[in-house]
Amino acid sequence: MYLKEKWSSKVNEMSKYSQVFKISLQDEFVYRLNFVLWRLRNVFSIFLVFFLWDSIFSVQDRVIFGYDRVKILTYIFALMFVKAIVFASKTMDVTGEIARGDLSNSLLKPLDYFKYWLTRDVASKTLNLSFALVETTLLFLILKPPFFLQNNLISILLFIVSLLIAVALYFLILFIVSSSAFWVPEMGWAIHFIITIVILEFLSGSLFPLDVLPKPIFSILSFTPFYYLIFFPIEVYLGKISGGEAVRGILISFVWVVILYLLMRSIWQKGLKVYQAYGR
Amino acid sequence: MTKTENTVIIKGLTKNFDVRFKEAGLAGSIKSLIKPKNIVKRALKGISFTVSRGELIGFIGPNGAGKTTTLKILSGLLYPTNGFVQVLGFNPWEKKPEFLKNISLVMGQKNQLWWDLPAIESLKLNRAIYEISQKDFTERLNKLTDLLDVGNLLSTQVRKLSLGQRMRLEFVTALIHEPEILFLDEPTIGLDVIAQQKVRDFIYEYNLKNRATILLTSHNMNDLLDLTKRVIVIDSGEILYDGYLSELVRSFAKEKIIKVYLAKESDIKKFETIGKIIKLDLPYVSLSVPRESAAVAASEILQSFAVADLTIEEEPIEGVIRRVFKGEMVKQS
Repeated sequence: MYLKEKWSSKVNEMSKYSQVFKISLQDEFVYRLNFVLWRLRNVFSIFLVFFLWDSIFSVQDRVIFGYDRVKILTYIFALMFVKAIVFASKTMDVTGEIARGDLSNSLLKPLDYFKYWLTRDVASKTLNLSFALVETTLLFLILKPPFFLQNNLISILLFIVSLLIAVALYFLILFIVSSSAFWVPEMGWAIHFIITIVILEFLSGSLFPLDVLPKPIFSILSFTPFYYLIFFPIEVYLGKISGGEAVRGILISFVWVVILYLLMRSIWQKGLKVYQAYGR
Repeated sequence: MTKTENTVIIKGLTKNFDVRFKEAGLAGSIKSLIKPKNIVKRALKGISFTVSRGELIGFIGPNGAGKTTTLKILSGLLYPTNGFVQVLGFNPWEKKPEFLKNISLVMGQKNQLWWDLPAIESLKLNRAIYEISQKDFTERLNKLTDLLDVGNLLSTQVRKLSLGQRMRLEFVTALIHEPEILFLDEPTIGLDVIAQQKVRDFIYEYNLKNRATILLTSHNMNDLLDLTKRVIVIDSGEILYDGYLSELVRSFAKEKIIKVYLAKESDIKKFETIGKIIKLDLPYVSLSVPRESAAVAASEILQSFAVADLTIEEEPIEGVIRRVFKGEMVKQS
């Protein structure tokens, strides 16, 4: 009897968030043109980065920071894919929800706000990923870059794990940064801009491979969560980080997931106490 | 299990807000950024009251009196600074699912409907969130859309609806889980007279049929006159009056209104010696006179003028309330 109840509550829980998933997708589809343009922008930025690096390495056998033409172009193609998964997120909107007081709508319902946004995030990623797959294939056919297809199963497995951790890390960082709106609602976007756009882009390896940085800085970075957002998963995929080193990295990043989760919970609890449910 | 008759219990509730103090202008903004100065705003200064199941209570008070703050604390949105709060036997702040499933807060200026999608999608989402069976959902949806006359609007994109249509759909969405307690904050704000009436009729029906407890704030006197028996008058975070609306008028209306229909032209000046002329639209004259001397004033009028008709009426409720807030009413002990 008890088991049956427990089971049915699990089913209800599932249907709750699957409905959130559905409505999120529908909501994204309302602005179809917007979405297409956003994807188009991605494609253009890839072209740009691709040709930039391609021309830098156009001189035969040029090697910069240990990267030759093949390696850097491979990095860039992997980057595009990993970025589409990790950085495609709606969670930045949490800032606005707190500042405008729309958070109240969710707080009034038997709904876990954290799971709600996680679901919305997954919906957004699903959509972006399916587009990214098509784009990558097309660009691959057009640009014919030298690309390295990983065929080591262990590397692929480690890559998937590191990718999931990267998604969790990014989600948690966004949630924590968004909570600043509880205290300084008018500065929410500025803080987002500085942290999630400038710092994260720079330190995660989404502008350049992190190992071009001086060794000491690189070593310090490898103990921060940023390192595990983009750079680490790519290197694991490319097989440059493997075996014990990869496992060590996954452990460090997992510890960061736990730390950030606890931090997020405690910040959120404090934030709710000062929440003023604005909007009136 | 015995159900507590008191659905809402509040004792000595206080709520303080930290408000960042900001001087006017750009210089002020920069100053507050560098050296933030917080001032404490005391929104509620220790209020107490209880509400029984099935009651429909109106909150009256000027802007910033603490009405909305009270509703937000009762629905668990705000963390009370001090005091005891219990709703349906729960501490609202804990946001237990069994509590949340039985309340709803509707704000006239906030919406939960997904702006870019038809309302039916928001409703389906609520069906899943509140774990409503398909059968109950269809039944309630039909009932609610009938009552509010919005059945044909369910599949229109919300952004394309008028304010009145949207507000009624907000009600459907907020009530699809049939809450036992309903908190309404300015439910008729911005609506035209017909839409207001529809919403009012609906609130009345819902209260009656479901024996739901309803707490309502409104600046619209018609809302209160039509719907509520008991009112709580609140100002600057303190309760000034808690009791029947009719009682409020009876004990605090200091004046009566004498309306006269003159049979023939006469010297209007003389009215001024009897009472205060509040409306002059010959042959009609309206006078306001002290309550205790109303009879004397009336007989004086009848002797001095050729009167076709004369009535003595209570002061309109707006006037009474206005005076309450001007501080003419002493806080009840």
